[in-house]
Amino acid sequence: MDLGGRTMRQRSTRSIAIWTGVAIVGAVSWGVIALVRGEQISAAWLIFAALGSYAIAYRFYARWIARKVLGVDRDRATPAERLDNAMDYQPTDRRVLFGHHFAAIAGAGPLVGPVLAAQMGYLPGTIWIIVGVIFAGAVQDMVILFFSMRRDGKSLGQMAREEIGPVGGVAALIAVFSIMIILLAVLALVVVNALAQSPWGTFSLAMTIPIAFFMGFYLRVLRPGRVIEVTAIGVALLLVAIVLGGVVDDSSLADEFTLSPETLALCLIGYGFIASVLPVWMLLAPRDYLSTFMKIGVIALLAVGIVVTLPLMETEAVTPFASNGEGPVFAGALFPFVFIIIACGALSGFHSLIASGTTPKMIEKETQVRFIGYGAMLMESFVAVMAMIAACIIEPGLYFAMNAPAGVVGDTVQSASQAVNGLGFQISPGELQAAAASVEEDSLVARTGGAPTLAIGMSEIFSGATGQGLKAFWYHFAIMFEALFILTTVDAGTRVGRFMLQDTLGNVIKPFANVSWKPGLVITSAVVVAAWGWFLYGGVTNPLGGINQLFPLFGIANQLLAAVALTVGTTLLIKAGKLRWAWVTGLPLAWDATVTLTASYQKVFSDDPKIGFFAQRDQFQDALDAGEVLPPATSVDDMETVVTNSTVDGVLAALFAVLIVIVILDAARIWVRVIRSGRPAPTTETPFVQTEISAPAGLFPTADERLAPAGAGNGERFMRTEEETRAGGPR
Amino acid sequence: MTVREALAGVRWYLREVSGESAYDRYVEHVRREHPDEPVMSRRDFERWRQDDRDANPRARCC
Repeated sequence: MDLGGRTMRQRSTRSIAIWTGVAIVGAVSWGVIALVRGEQISAAWLIFAALGSYAIAYRFYARWIARKVLGVDRDRATPAERLDNAMDYQPTDRRVLFGHHFAAIAGAGPLVGPVLAAQMGYLPGTIWIIVGVIFAGAVQDMVILFFSMRRDGKSLGQMAREEIGPVGGVAALIAVFSIMIILLAVLALVVVNALAQSPWGTFSLAMTIPIAFFMGFYLRVLRPGRVIEVTAIGVALLLVAIVLGGVVDDSSLADEFTLSPETLALCLIGYGFIASVLPVWMLLAPRDYLSTFMKIGVIALLAVGIVVTLPLMETEAVTPFASNGEGPVFAGALFPFVFIIIACGALSGFHSLIASGTTPKMIEKETQVRFIGYGAMLMESFVAVMAMIAACIIEPGLYFAMNAPAGVVGDTVQSASQAVNGLGFQISPGELQAAAASVEEDSLVARTGGAPTLAIGMSEIFSGATGQGLKAFWYHFAIMFEALFILTTVDAGTRVGRFMLQDTLGNVIKPFANVSWKPGLVITSAVVVAAWGWFLYGGVTNPLGGINQLFPLFGIANQLLAAVALTVGTTLLIKAGKLRWAWVTGLPLAWDATVTLTASYQKVFSDDPKIGFFAQRDQFQDALDAGEVLPPATSVDDMETVVTNSTVDGVLAALFAVLIVIVILDAARIWVRVIRSGRPAPTTETPFVQTEISAPAGLFPTADERLAPAGAGNGERFMRTEEETRAGGPR
Repeated sequence: MTVREALAGVRWYLREVSGESAYDRYVEHVRREHPDEPVMSRRDFERWRQDDRDANPRARCC
């Protein structure tokens, strides 16, 4: 155990040298990103700034939180070890669990948000993605994972109810349900916008349904449990479907697969309902294998592509839209809206549901919360940085022609070119036509939602490495990959929403509590699908642009959930007598609450009809009363759609703000009570049990871990006082 | 590390992450903890495992 003094000294000198080097690389990269103006910089600087910052944060800040603030204990058995049932509770290798956890938290969110935020330039979004993840997002994920793990894997809702009170608990429940509905609507809207009028994309995505059925049948009947081989077959079929999509695109079948946004929305709503009432093995499980594989594969491919081609950033660091708030993609100024639009990748409340769900029941060692909770979130943040790069290496003129709503850019290349010039950027109708032709799409005008833009960026990166001939293939490959895992999320999310509804209704009407009761299952599924379907259809038909209207609402909902999670974390720290460390979650909470409340306030009370939902409603209602039709609406129906949508969206924004205030005030009541009492509150942790497992904390075992495996019996280490055990504090 | 070891590592990781090794763990668990109880066949086990997901849906994030 005792290492020679010389070895220790050598090691620490080397360690200081390495970390000084990392700090210098990070600082220089930040300097280049922040200060270079008037010339293009390489995307490599963003990559280095991100990786350097992550490394330092992980090594120092996260380690300090894990050891000092949380007091992770390598001698304490985790629920996975104590309750091992070879099913939901089982000790899982940290690298495997990292994969599961990352696949569950990362989806379309970190890819879409940064693309939209790129309208303000790459700098504001990139700073928030990196700084936000280090001090807020990754902290939230790790802290919630830790507290849930200490409570046998309790959910966020349960912890909110038990630690804060019934009011906080109910507010948390409403927050979770409403974010689910808005999330599903927005994600489905991204798919609609990516596939509308695109026979290639629509055909490829439609083919994923029979492919998934085949895989499900294979796993159920032919060769149960052979996941790897069936996934390999599925991926091969998927690639064939993308290639066939190109053939269909050129054939007479193209018309059959050219669908309007309205038709596609109805198809998705129907799909969502049928998929969620079918047994998991038929559609969801095989889709999940496919989309997880594609997700990891494409992210790795994107990283390699960026590093190999090292593209230049075409967008300015900061565009005028950051300060004037008149950007066409979403309205509002940098503060607070960049911090709302980029949720996933910087701070995502949704993660707290995963971190308090399956992951804490599978973690092998307490010390691994840093690697899994903090580390997986850093990786998601890196995905967001790559999405930002992909959006900023395309011509800004093309970016705005694609991302501004049809109400702004019209639907022809001429109108789009004119509108983009009006915004202060340049693209000619010919260039727009050529950009669409290069990926074999009819038009790229007003293809909002982020997915088509990301696909263009990815196809440029990939074709930079494989040759321009494959550009259309890569574009549709990227579209397919996003649509594939969004559909999986839609199916899985509908089931989770249904489950919550069944659970709640079951308290009143008994049969609903039985989740397999068919009528209950069909009714609750229909309710959930109708809820997100209503927002989806409203978004598709809204002349003001569905993404423009709904995405900020999604961001607010997600940050609201983050506020609930951070409030639970802060409450638990204070209750454990760690008031002096409570700022670790308290500061991100204060920031998150400020941002979210400011955004909700502007969305509710702003006089500017571009920002304020009610100002918008009044504007269109007054025009309706006067018998006028206001552009971009073209009919009375359009006008009525705007009035209804703006009213509902405004009410929701107000509801979210009220919920945040309720949760925080209710928690503050507890904080004051605990602080006044002068001693820690009784713990709700499961009592200490000595571990018998030894496993490294991080990705690679340290020298100490190789020498003295944890739990191998180091006598004096677990001579702990009763009080320390109760408080769960550091030894 | 030899190529063979690296490939074995990749295979191990894929089997673990995809859940393909879940059955092996289950058999080992039953033999160790409940030696008197019968062990399900692979087909029954995978069926049971999939149907459990119907009753306990898992969220996928955005």
